Amino acid sequence: MGILQKAAKILFVCVHLMLLSGCWDRTEVNDLALIVGLGIDQKKDGKIMLTVQLVVPKSIGGGGQMGGGGGGGGETIVRSGTGATVADAISNLQEKLSRRVFWGHTKVVVFGERAAKAGIRQHLDFLSRNPQTRLRSNVLVSKGTAKSVLELLPPIEQSSAEVMRELSESQLLLRVTIKDALQMLSGDAGAAALPMVKILPPEKGKKELQTIAFIQRTAIFKKDKMIGDIDDKLTRGVLWLRNEIKLANITVRLKGEKGNITSTLIRAHTEFIPKYGKGKWKMIVKATAEDDILLNGTKLDLLNPKHTKMIEKELENETDKRIRAALKKVQKELKADIFGFAEIFHRKYPREWNRVKNRWEEIFPTVEVVVKTKVYVRRPGMNTAPQGLPEQEVKQ
Amino acid sequence: MFFLKKVKKKVKKQQEQNQKQQNQNQQQQGFLSNNLDQNLQELQNIYQNCMDVVFRQFQIGGKTKAALIYIDGLANIEETDASVLAPLMKESDVRVNGEQQSIDMGIDVNHILEQKLTVSKIKKVRTITECIEYISGGSPVLLIDKQIEGFALGLSKWEKRSIEEPVGESVIRGPREGFTESLGTNLALLRRKMRSPQLKMKSMKIGEYTQTEVVISYIEGIAEQTLLQEVETRLNRIKVDGILETSYIEEYIEDNPYSPFPQVLNTERPDVVVASLLEGRVAILQDGTPFALIVPVSFYSLLQSTEDYYQRSLISTVTRWLRYLFLLISLLLPSLYVAILTFHQEMIPTTLLVTIAASRELVPFPALVEALIMEIVFEALREAGVRLPKQAGAAVSIVGALVIGQAAVQAGIVSAPLIMVVSLTGIASFTIPRYTAGIALRMLRFPMILLAGTLGLLGIMLGLLMILTHMAALRSFGVPYLSPLAPMQGREMKDVLVRAPWWKLNTRPSLTDNIQRQGPNQKPNPDYGNDKTSKGKGGSL
Repeated sequence: MGILQKAAKILFVCVHLMLLSGCWDRTEVNDLALIVGLGIDQKKDGKIMLTVQLVVPKSIGGGGQMGGGGGGGGETIVRSGTGATVADAISNLQEKLSRRVFWGHTKVVVFGERAAKAGIRQHLDFLSRNPQTRLRSNVLVSKGTAKSVLELLPPIEQSSAEVMRELSESQLLLRVTIKDALQMLSGDAGAAALPMVKILPPEKGKKELQTIAFIQRTAIFKKDKMIGDIDDKLTRGVLWLRNEIKLANITVRLKGEKGNITSTLIRAHTEFIPKYGKGKWKMIVKATAEDDILLNGTKLDLLNPKHTKMIEKELENETDKRIRAALKKVQKELKADIFGFAEIFHRKYPREWNRVKNRWEEIFPTVEVVVKTKVYVRRPGMNTAPQGLPEQEVKQ
Repeated sequence: MFFLKKVKKKVKKQQEQNQKQQNQNQQQQGFLSNNLDQNLQELQNIYQNCMDVVFRQFQIGGKTKAALIYIDGLANIEETDASVLAPLMKESDVRVNGEQQSIDMGIDVNHILEQKLTVSKIKKVRTITECIEYISGGSPVLLIDKQIEGFALGLSKWEKRSIEEPVGESVIRGPREGFTESLGTNLALLRRKMRSPQLKMKSMKIGEYTQTEVVISYIEGIAEQTLLQEVETRLNRIKVDGILETSYIEEYIEDNPYSPFPQVLNTERPDVVVASLLEGRVAILQDGTPFALIVPVSFYSLLQSTEDYYQRSLISTVTRWLRYLFLLISLLLPSLYVAILTFHQEMIPTTLLVTIAASRELVPFPALVEALIMEIVFEALREAGVRLPKQAGAAVSIVGALVIGQAAVQAGIVSAPLIMVVSLTGIASFTIPRYTAGIALRMLRFPMILLAGTLGLLGIMLGLLMILTHMAALRSFGVPYLSPLAPMQGREMKDVLVRAPWWKLNTRPSLTDNIQRQGPNQKPNPDYGNDKTSKGKGGSL
């Protein structure tokens, strides 16, 4: 048999094998409803209401100009469906959509306050079980319903989901992905913290929906149920305790000096040293920060190491205050171990921890936490002496 | 009686005819006779109905008959007139071998050769076949009565193209001369670049009717003897009526005739040939075409441009990597586009996906069909651009740009991102310096698109594996096609992954045992003249 016939036969078989598969999961982009934001609410009757924000690829139009702006991105619309579970709600939602829902581009998952209080585990289970959704999606809780947040039409970004993603990524406050949330919930501590968004009141003259939702608080979860929330200041304290702080501007006043000094965080690191003895649990938190000076409202010359020492001291006190405030609220009042102390103790004292692991909820509020802060002021910025001040008045 | 006589006559006639035929046959195969008329008759029979063959009869010194046979247009008539006809016809001093003049003995040939014919290249011919060979080759043949030898005069001259810059392999820096259709010129170009007598040129003829001259060129001492023998064996195998281009030869001597990948390199540039010879390769040149063949080659040498060796090494290295990148793009970009848009929509950034989806909103075809249409249109445009005369070519490119560029998008037949993909692919395929390699990859793009449209990224991986397996199994004159990467030859990496500076390229590819190509310590040393540092440094080849 000639090689040509052989090749022809092989080709024949290959082509038919390819056709046999029938492109079973082949889909055109234009048959997909691209979901960028997902909101999960619980109704009063206990039913789940699913709200999706999807991108409508705006057609540039046949015969129109295609040159210019290109794309145009697309606007977003919001649709909802209800059901006993999330999966149930999706089939309800699909009835109202001409295109197949596609989760591959979901950027944020927002839980309504009520749904969060009722428990989020089953929803997270769906999100991690579905092959299309991404574990890297950001998870948030909204003050009010998730739908009200997704419905917003932000003036800058293309969609409110995009706004929330950007805000999460900025890591100004907490940032939690589905994967993080699942890890927190399945960890020893049995508590979780999720960023919480609130609708920014629209500017005067703007329509009600022309605004954004911004991350302002942190929702505290015990097991999978939300038990309370804390504001942005306390959240920063929590970030120190979770070793997640990335951005922080701290303003202090020095004794005997007029004016403020503001410093900005360059690097920060928190170290946890667990101690156990005589039935007492103790945690030493060592927070170290390196700062730059942003603003100097005093008359001090920052090149003088004495002055910087003073500033460092003051910054340490301020940081310490923030951390303690967070501890007080979270540890003593809410009693939720969102710092992950349980894991740290478990690692260091596995046997002792095992004895108390069932009572951890009771023990956590009694853990003695020692906070040690150390701040280094590295650079005074572009200027050393206070600016706009006659040289005689500068305190060397 | 009468009847008998008739029979006798017939028999006699037959016998005579037989004898004549036999005579003729003998003469055709055999030697020239000493009768000029008979020889001329013979040649005229052979060149029957060949109006371009000229038989010029004249007398030397008014006594001895002679004839000049040549092909009009192949012989240099002015030269022939001046240096052959004029001195011979004006000849009065026709001496015979000794003192005595005798008609039977003819004239003194040596005298004519030594003193009369002012032609530098003269070959003696003894047979009719030889005569034909020279006449057809353009050399006039001089036949003299009473002589059993003719003289082929090296006075051929025909119209040929002058040496021009090769269009297919232009360079910014480097020699600008290219081969022409004349084998003699081409060989001269090679010899000009390499003066060593080690440069050998073996001649042979291929083609029963075309009798095309083919030359195998190599450097003795560098090219492996086995390789040379292999080339000769493969060339000797060719039995065909005619060859018009080296591509004929290429197809007869390839290792795998069904592979899309070229296993023989063709070039118009003498410098490429010489460089290849220096690496231990063998070149095959053919009369009538400016393209020379080089064997063996590897895939990587097809991806290397002449200019890689003429630009500075750092720049060449970057260019090479750019080329490798665009090689992948030209093979994979359309299929990746199709696969991602039909199977893996989650793999591209949301904004990009939305933009693509928006532009595809009014397109009636699936991405696979759309991509196939546009790729085929592009190939057609390219082909039309190559074939058309220059003036019309501009029109084609304008129409092409407008039709596939803007109008198709506006008409809603294809989407704008796909135009981007197609044009990027087109540009990418032109970054491959060797046309044959580029076209192979361009053709492989189509099965890849089909695979991507049916099996997604999995299909692309399958296709790539198949191509890779095929390439790994491919040989060019016994040399693995993917060498020196597979099998790995660490020493040769410096001319594949990078283009090391010349002073570091001190070895030849392992095609040959004669591996060393330069002396030690060739790295430029600016302190060379300085006593301290020059001690023991610097070498000579």
